[in-house]
Amino acid sequence: MENQVKFESVSFGKRLGSMVRVDFRRMGKSKIFYILLACALVIPVLITVMMTMMDGSVSVNPQTGVETVMEGPENTWQSIGTLPTAGTENGQATAMGGMDVMGMCNINMMFMLTAVFICLFISEDFKSGYAKNLFAVRAKKSEYVISKTLSGFVCGALMLLAYFIGAMLGGAISGLSFELSTLNTGNIVMCILAKIFLMLVFISIFVLISVAAKQKTWLCLCGSLAAGMLLFMMVGMITPLGSTILNVLFCLACGMLFALGLGTISAVVLKKSSLV
Amino acid sequence: MNAVEIRNLSKNFGAKQAVCGLEMTVPMGAIYGFIGENGSGKSTTEKMICGLIPTSGGTIKLYGKDYKDEAVRAKVGVLIEAPGCFPGLSVWENMMLQATNLGIEEAEKEVVRVLKRVRMEGAAGNKFKNCSLGMKQRVGIAMALLGDPTLLVLDEPLNGLDADGMRIMREVLRDIVKDGTRSVVVSSHLLGELQKVATHYGIIRHGKMIREMTAEELDTSCRTYVAMQNADMSRSKMLLGCKFSRVEEDEAGYLRVYDETTPEEIVTYLYENGICVTEIKTDKIGLEEYYIDLMKEGK
Repeated sequence: MENQVKFESVSFGKRLGSMVRVDFRRMGKSKIFYILLACALVIPVLITVMMTMMDGSVSVNPQTGVETVMEGPENTWQSIGTLPTAGTENGQATAMGGMDVMGMCNINMMFMLTAVFICLFISEDFKSGYAKNLFAVRAKKSEYVISKTLSGFVCGALMLLAYFIGAMLGGAISGLSFELSTLNTGNIVMCILAKIFLMLVFISIFVLISVAAKQKTWLCLCGSLAAGMLLFMMVGMITPLGSTILNVLFCLACGMLFALGLGTISAVVLKKSSLV
Repeated sequence: MNAVEIRNLSKNFGAKQAVCGLEMTVPMGAIYGFIGENGSGKSTTEKMICGLIPTSGGTIKLYGKDYKDEAVRAKVGVLIEAPGCFPGLSVWENMMLQATNLGIEEAEKEVVRVLKRVRMEGAAGNKFKNCSLGMKQRVGIAMALLGDPTLLVLDEPLNGLDADGMRIMREVLRDIVKDGTRSVVVSSHLLGELQKVATHYGIIRHGKMIREMTAEELDTSCRTYVAMQNADMSRSKMLLGCKFSRVEEDEAGYLRVYDETTPEEIVTYLYENGICVTEIKTDKIGLEEYYIDLMKEGK
């Protein structure tokens, strides 16, 4: 009688669960994750303290003689977004055109830092050959994309929270005001939540670029940062300091749509290309 | 049912055809020695079996099912080129990651089992980047053995292994296939080592399978020869060259006569020409020579 071999099917949930566990375990052991998280915590403290110290200082251009007066932050919340002023609604109008230092060096930088993490995280899979071990025993590429998107999302959310804590610390150290003007604490919570959900849009893009570039870390980084820069200004507009539940829902919907759409494309890219 | 059944497989890299119309059958319980020159398409075929590169045409079946079947894939152990480990993590951590990936319930026990199997339990705490080439290869083999795979695909697993490592490798391979259901596909340029374990062979050239045979068939296909030594080897070579069509001197300094003959005939012939044979024996060519002959025929 011929020998029989039986193969047991493993459910999608179990397969995904084990892959996610691996990614989280790896993230927990990754130096770059802790370095980026530390940066997310320290950057707002440094920016707030330095900008406060430089407030009012005048620099003169020796060629034109034009004087520029440095304006430091007046409020702690400026590290998160632009506070509403007279003639603006919930800070949106200012955020749209805000090209000042605090407009650029705020919590939205974390979207770029997350790009660095995802690029290094995914390209290491291919560089080390771990992808070979992984894909040899797993035919479904979508599980890989979901797992990376989830770990990237958690990392991004943690960075945003770290930046938020750093901004509060910086404000407290610099003695800045915590006055919310016409806003309330709920707006701040909604703003952070909206940013966290919006992170999904960025992560989907970064994951797609990273799986396409595979072991070419420089290509992942350049591509992801360039794509991130293109969308960077959008963050302030969609997630102003005066965010409401509508902003949160909009960001959640966008995040889900992008994660689904670009995730599918990422899985197709993996399916159609060489994994070694 | 065969462990691996490949029909009309092809793979193109742009205009270059790496594999074209490849047919391959690996029976259950076989240690399949996959042989070929550099760039002949061995690794490409193995990568396609493992689902690491998409095929351009043809079919691959593993245990009667499509090679993309999730359940079959989960029981494939792989070592392609180099072990896929994170250099900054320890051997243990790398093994645990793969065990978790495979969804092994008692992961720690399983990792200890496979590390013991390749005698690497003492180096589990070492960072992977600090391991020697041979140790890394053993880790790769251990990783491929995780979860008791039904099919093992090993690409050059003997690279960098010391004598003990080679012996362990042979033991592991024999142990795996002893129940008659599990199979191993192993490619190596160390044909002497491969011959010690392989039960089946597949020889690939320019992306095409030029011969598939069992170890018994190889044995009967391998020609016998008469090897001899004496005091005047150059004159012996000249004399034997006049009488026989193929006479060659081997690396050990023996003169080999590949024609159908007997030691008695050679001894008598040389004695008649004033040469006394000091040593003579009959032997069979090995896999390496058989392969070289086959390649020469093709050229």
